[in-house]
Amino acid sequence: MSHEPFDTLAATYAVGALDGDERAEFERHLAGGCAACEATLRGSAEALAGLARSGPPMLPPPEVKDELLRRIAATTPGRRESARPRPLVWAVGTLAAMIAGAAFTGAFVASRYEGRLGQMAREAAALRERVQRDEAALRDQIAVYRSAVDLLRDPKTQIVTLHGLAPSPEATGRVIWHPVNGGHVFVANLPSAPPGKAYELWTIADAAPQPGGVFQVDALGRGTHRLPAPEGGKPVKVFAVTLEPEAGVAAPTGPMVLASK
Amino acid sequence: MAAGDRQAFALFYDRHAPVVFPLILRIVGQRADASDVLQEVFWEAWRDAGRYDSARGSPEAWMVTRARTRAIDRVRATRRRSETFVAPLDDIVAAAPGDPPGDAAERAEDRGTIRSALDRLPEAQREVIELAYYVGLTQTEIADRLKQPLGTVKTRIRLGLERLREVVKARA
Repeated sequence: MSHEPFDTLAATYAVGALDGDERAEFERHLAGGCAACEATLRGSAEALAGLARSGPPMLPPPEVKDELLRRIAATTPGRRESARPRPLVWAVGTLAAMIAGAAFTGAFVASRYEGRLGQMAREAAALRERVQRDEAALRDQIAVYRSAVDLLRDPKTQIVTLHGLAPSPEATGRVIWHPVNGGHVFVANLPSAPPGKAYELWTIADAAPQPGGVFQVDALGRGTHRLPAPEGGKPVKVFAVTLEPEAGVAAPTGPMVLASK
Repeated sequence: MAAGDRQAFALFYDRHAPVVFPLILRIVGQRADASDVLQEVFWEAWRDAGRYDSARGSPEAWMVTRARTRAIDRVRATRRRSETFVAPLDDIVAAAPGDPPGDAAERAEDRGTIRSALDRLPEAQREVIELAYYVGLTQTEIADRLKQPLGTVKTRIRLGLERLREVVKARA
């Protein structure tokens, strides 16, 4: 059997006019699943809805809506059942939204502040490093002062004045000197050494100057240097400072900037 | 609306009642009866909203189909009572709107009813669809009434619906 007769049955069914055996036959056909007939019925229903819409609209008596809303408000038990889960659904939805929101906020805050926190951590580390460095410097300084004070208490300790020479005549210096323990050199108004250069201390006992180590001055031209006692224990006659390569040299090569005589 | 939202129902009602009400009135004839049917149709729609399947058609088609079915139910119930106590079927059919004299456009204008799209159909097709859809006659009853073969009635209905689909689509 071709499908064509069903097209006619479907149309007649759509306007509610199919009866008798044909109606039963068509309903069986439809129950068996027929996409073509379902499409015909669907299209017919839309066309009839279009027909209803094509006429002038007519407002029903307002009591109808009032009565419907009253009946719905007075919800039947069946209605209440389907209405009850709504707060739960709402709550679940809200909770999910909150969790999603919190996760989002968390991720946002993390991404937003991760950089800042990292930067703060780096700053804190730098600060700690600087404090540690300053503390070490202070300890060194205190050690120098304590050592200097100890030396000053010793009757054998002498203070030797250093004079600025031609390159930096305004420079001054003092040497707190103990013939056995060595001493400390304090300088002022000495210009910063050029790059790659440093000031080197010399002690002269006999003929050849003995290297006493290199030092740098700070931005204000001040410098402190621990000067060990020369080997052999011979009395130092002259203290001198020359500008040398920053690693220091065994014998003076550069200009003399400070000297005790 | 399926979620049971009353506010959504109010909007749904405001949107579809003005389309559905004239259809029901056209079928049942009495405003009081039409109001009763309208209320039942929307009450059932509220109750059955969960069963509405958008894949099977628009909400409007869903409501129009339900309204037409309930209105015809009402007419048939009334007719059964009438048959029992008073009038023969032919009197009821004769009293039903649908076949005063004059051309279709003129009749539609006179009545101001929902026939405007239907008026674009050939008279023979319009007639069978009106008798089936608005009066609620079956194909056999229509064939008897028009004194036409059953096959002719069915063919006219089919052609009429096809034409209506075109007219409605062209309007939309």
